[in-house]
Amino acid sequence: MNDVIRFKIAIQTMKEHWKTTIILTLLFVFMTAMYAGMFPQFEEALLEMLSTGFGDSFNFLPHADQMATYTGFLTLELYQIFWLLILAIMLGFIVGSSITKEIESKTIDILMSNPVSRKQIVFEKFIGFIPMVLIINFSTMLTVMGITSAIGERLDFGNLLMVHLVSVPYFLAIISIGILVSVIFDEKMKSSIIMIAIPFAMFFINSISLMTPDLEYLRSFTIFHYFDTFDVLKFGNVNVAGIFVFIAIIIVCLTVSLIYFEHKDIQVT
Amino acid sequence: MNIIETKNLTKYYGKIKGIENLTFSVKKGEIFGFLGPNGAGKTTTIRTLLGYLHPTSGEAFIFGKNIADNENIVEIKREVGYIPGDLNIYTHMTGKEFLDYFASLRNTKMTLLDDLLKVFDVPLHRKIKGYSKGMKQKIGIIQAFMDDPEIVIMDEPTSGLDPLLQQKFYDFLKNQKKKGKTVFFSSHVLSEVDKVCDRIGIIRNGELVALEEIEALKDKMGKKVRIKIKEKPETFKGHKNIKFNHGWIEFVSTDNIDNLIKKLSKFTIIDLEIIDFSLEDIFIHYYEGQT
Repeated sequence: MNDVIRFKIAIQTMKEHWKTTIILTLLFVFMTAMYAGMFPQFEEALLEMLSTGFGDSFNFLPHADQMATYTGFLTLELYQIFWLLILAIMLGFIVGSSITKEIESKTIDILMSNPVSRKQIVFEKFIGFIPMVLIINFSTMLTVMGITSAIGERLDFGNLLMVHLVSVPYFLAIISIGILVSVIFDEKMKSSIIMIAIPFAMFFINSISLMTPDLEYLRSFTIFHYFDTFDVLKFGNVNVAGIFVFIAIIIVCLTVSLIYFEHKDIQVT
Repeated sequence: MNIIETKNLTKYYGKIKGIENLTFSVKKGEIFGFLGPNGAGKTTTIRTLLGYLHPTSGEAFIFGKNIADNENIVEIKREVGYIPGDLNIYTHMTGKEFLDYFASLRNTKMTLLDDLLKVFDVPLHRKIKGYSKGMKQKIGIIQAFMDDPEIVIMDEPTSGLDPLLQQKFYDFLKNQKKKGKTVFFSSHVLSEVDKVCDRIGIIRNGELVALEEIEALKDKMGKKVRIKIKEKPETFKGHKNIKFNHGWIEFVSTDNIDNLIKKLSKFTIIDLEIIDFSLEDIFIHYYEGQT
């Protein structure tokens, strides 16, 4: 029990990803600064675009009609695509190969020769990715705050904080899906591709169901349905049921991962 | 006391047999050699013992604890060192980072680390990516022995070591044995098994075909006798599987030496050779007819 609390594998996982964490953080800080900072130049053009009905061609995105407001612009340009989709893909890609990588490169052999349980390996890998999520998440939030103040736009910082607080269980759910994929597959390529495909497929389903009212029920199957960044950012409406969905995903994925990995034969190929 | 004990241990990969009905034990303080060519089931046995593979049937115990229990296997590994056959170490770490990481996972005193580093010197501050095969093997040995575990299980540990280091390694193993530590290693290098092992198990097609002390096994195999006699070779009888080879008569005798000499004395002997079986001969004997 003493060893479980020491989190040595988690710390090692963090150390191994500190470069990636910095790169992703810088990337999102830079993109956030760019999009938020660009808004004043775009505002008029966007208003004009919406008045001519051009905005309809964006109706696969939620709240496309709000594009000309600062909150709407941030939601559409930053949160809907880069945050909820692209960052999810990037994290999934990294986490999805975390255990697969050890199996494929056979380092799992020597790791498991230590007095560590299989459960501990899976659980600590998950824990090891949490700092990455927190650092990217809150750096991005601080950047939005800074740029907003700099360009003199109005944004409710309390609501902004809520967006980034809800983002934590959202990304942890993504990570837990990644862990599940990484215990199931033995090849890095496979698990990484699957972790790109899952968020994309969900995003696609979400878009289709937005455009086709008949297919609206499909939205419940996508993770995006449970996190409306515009609602949170504009009105402070947090979808509490959505947070429970994320927590449920985390619990289910981790439990299945632990059980699956416990019973898996670690083969040499 | 038995450190390792298996009872009808069996592992199938689907329909493919890995090992079948292995029953053997390794006693405390002995060096046990596990012999067999590639694909015989040596690695499967080791990986099953260490809980990497789940046995299809049968049981195995280390320190009397059943390896099938996931709680046990963690406890067992506190006192087990392991060197995998296909040793792969985190290439992005330096030697020191790797050893520190593993020391932190073991969470005990690294009593042998300094001694090991003297014998098997490795460039600790270089990334493992830049290590040669021999260096990797050395650091593999260091990590397995550094906390002086009760038993070290090794899968062909000397591959990649030069003869000088191999000798140092054998000396190190003998020293561990003197301290009452146990060593289990698989090999297909017969000379090394002959040099350091007390007892061997020979595995063929996943099944154990011999399990004995090396000396006892050699005695049991008998002696190779080559003899030249003045009489016609064809008149020589009374032994099984006699071969005639350029005037030499060759056969294997399990008789005691006195009986053998008395039987031979009926002939006029020109030349005589009595040779002990080597481990290699024994090995070939068990594998005869195998491809």
